[in-house]
Amino acid sequence: MSEMTWEHLRDLDCGAVRTLGDTWKTYIDQQLAHTERLRTDVIEGHLGTEHYESDTATQVRDQIGMTADRYEDDLSDYASTRIATTLLEAADAFEKEQNELKELVPLIEQHDFDIEGPHSEYDVNLSGGLHRAILTLNPPQWLCDMCGVKKPDGFWDIDTLKVLFDSVDLYGTAIGLAGQYQDWLRAVMSRAHDADDEAAAALAEMHENPAELPPHLGATYDDLVDDYKEGVTEEVADEAEAIADGTSGLSPEQVNQWWEGLSETERRALIDEHPEWVGPVDGIPTEARDTANRTVLDRDIDALDTRIAAEEQALQGLDPESDEYQNAKEALDGLKGDRNDLAGLQDRITNDDGTPRLAEGPEPQQPYYLLGFGTQDNGRAIVSIGNPDTADNVNTLVPGTTANLSGAGGLLHRAETMQSDAQLSSPHTSNATIAWLGYDAPDTIVPEAMQERWADGASEDLENFTEGLSATGREDTNHTLTGHSYGTTVIGHAATKEGVDADNLVFVASPGVGTDTASALGVDEDNVWATRNSLDPIHLTPDFLHGADPTGDDFGGNAYHSDTGAWNANNHSTYWDDTNMAGRETLADIATGQR
Amino acid sequence: MDNPPEPQYTQAEAYAPMEAAAADAVAVLPDFPGFKERIWGELPATHNGIDVQGFTIVEITYVFSLPDSGTPLVRETYLDVLREHWTALGYRITRDAVKEKPDRVDRSLVAIRPDGIALWYWAAGYTVLRVQSGPVTASDHDAIEYLPPTGGVRPGGRYDKVGKYFPEGIPADPDVVDPFDSPDSYEDSL
Repeated sequence: MSEMTWEHLRDLDCGAVRTLGDTWKTYIDQQLAHTERLRTDVIEGHLGTEHYESDTATQVRDQIGMTADRYEDDLSDYASTRIATTLLEAADAFEKEQNELKELVPLIEQHDFDIEGPHSEYDVNLSGGLHRAILTLNPPQWLCDMCGVKKPDGFWDIDTLKVLFDSVDLYGTAIGLAGQYQDWLRAVMSRAHDADDEAAAALAEMHENPAELPPHLGATYDDLVDDYKEGVTEEVADEAEAIADGTSGLSPEQVNQWWEGLSETERRALIDEHPEWVGPVDGIPTEARDTANRTVLDRDIDALDTRIAAEEQALQGLDPESDEYQNAKEALDGLKGDRNDLAGLQDRITNDDGTPRLAEGPEPQQPYYLLGFGTQDNGRAIVSIGNPDTADNVNTLVPGTTANLSGAGGLLHRAETMQSDAQLSSPHTSNATIAWLGYDAPDTIVPEAMQERWADGASEDLENFTEGLSATGREDTNHTLTGHSYGTTVIGHAATKEGVDADNLVFVASPGVGTDTASALGVDEDNVWATRNSLDPIHLTPDFLHGADPTGDDFGGNAYHSDTGAWNANNHSTYWDDTNMAGRETLADIATGQR
Repeated sequence: MDNPPEPQYTQAEAYAPMEAAAADAVAVLPDFPGFKERIWGELPATHNGIDVQGFTIVEITYVFSLPDSGTPLVRETYLDVLREHWTALGYRITRDAVKEKPDRVDRSLVAIRPDGIALWYWAAGYTVLRVQSGPVTASDHDAIEYLPPTGGVRPGGRYDKVGKYFPEGIPADPDVVDPFDSPDSYEDSL
């Protein structure tokens, strides 16, 4: 775990880290010139076939070629993807948080707060001087301004009495502000620690997996070289498996570099032979993931059919009154439920002839891309309408409480509506909308949606997903993360604890996003949006559960208007209904960069 | 499961009055250039803040072509005409907004009928007429009857986007084919 303190981060020379990364890149380019020379000057030059023709000569040329290949692979996999990219990503991440710190620490100091506690969880408290100033009825000017009282001039006059009567409010305001700075500081350090840990993991994993070299020429060469060639092929599969397992330590950007470094044949082989290592991996391009996931989806449905048939047969031999029968029946029903859910997802995104279906929407119609699915917990479904790798605007919708695979059809309808609205609002841009049910959502409002653990459980996956979109997409793509209800809490936790690659955050009907200030979210406050209609009971959520209401003035960011539906109905999920065209128009504008 | 109040229509029943509402709107628009496309879509219906299965919201969208979407006739005159028309019919206007953008002015008009069907005329990048049902009981796709589009969209053509409800193809009915409409392709006719 990272031991970085805020002082370390403040004083870190990010430029030096970046220079080191750039130096490695330069070094790689220099080394590639050597392998190029080996091929042109040696293999095709003075050891070329016009000078030497024999089995031994061919063997020597092959051996040198393999050594050059291996060297290039290592340069790509280790020097470039592992070392240089890790350093450059770390430099970017540290610098981003350092800039936040440069803004935040002076604010903390100006307001006479102290940073206290361990580096893992800093506190921002009122200093002794600030306590004294309030207690002696001499609060600082900024605090008087915030509370709307006039600063006493030292005499016991009406202003002094007002301060006396407002002292609880003064304290509360000062503590509230310190709390916001604390949230901000903790978020900055959490993201910095996350970047530090991720960089360390990427480098450590390199150390643990030294690459093999081609065999030496000699008597055993013929015996060893075939094994070596097979080993090189298996190495790609091993890397793919480690990446899919999450044990490679590679970031989505590094995964993307690794993928792009594979030959077309290697990529095709992985998709065909191990689609389960391709489909779920953030950083692999959308087209490849979609193809792989659809293959796995077919396979999983077939496997469930086989299991269901076997379980049904086994059930026939059991006494219907026995516990064993009941247990087996329950398990069978579970399998059938999973099968129905997966088949429902498949039907939704696939034509009868097996080709990807186009979503119904305005021209140009966009195909569905399957970026992930699963039957664990209440199920997973990550489906994009339109290709996020090529889109100008990508909006990812994170659903809230009770979201599950069985209800993925409704989630997709909502995403299709958002996609349609975006396309109608901005016809000259290409847009993609993603339904991201990539986490285990709470099943109940009480008690599950009151707990943070579902959001914490989703944070890293959402971080990786957004980083994957950045890695595979265009550099200038406008990324929006839109949460509904508990989905906003998921986004908030991911943004403050891990960091998300997003240009805009939109919180619809939020119970709180795990922080009291937009500043802690790691996204420009001007691009943080929140909406809640006046009849949405979510406003009854107390702040101590998930933090302050993001539509509140004190939170920062922007609030936008949503209309209500029927006055006598729960309006928590009416944000896409005919009663809230205002909200839909605004969301479309945000998602297409028009706000 | 706690269900929403019993809706006035089932999903299958909702399409006819919704399409009729669209046709009624088209009928009052002068010099109507025709819509480019029709889309049948859905949204999840919710109750007590949570999506409920077995219910849905139908949304029908008629889209003008991009050139037509940008004309003052479509963006401004039609909005004025529809405001007057819907008001005269006793519909409740719930939104009448203008939004200035750097390169255009968006307009939005929403009217709710007494039966709960909502009409939304939105002049944005495209200009669209949308009709929304409110929550209705979901129907099997088999129970949904094909209704020809209004406003010049060719029934069963490329831009009649209702295909997911009729996977076997749009039911053939020569009466609903507009003989003056151009086919999407002349490939088989040449």
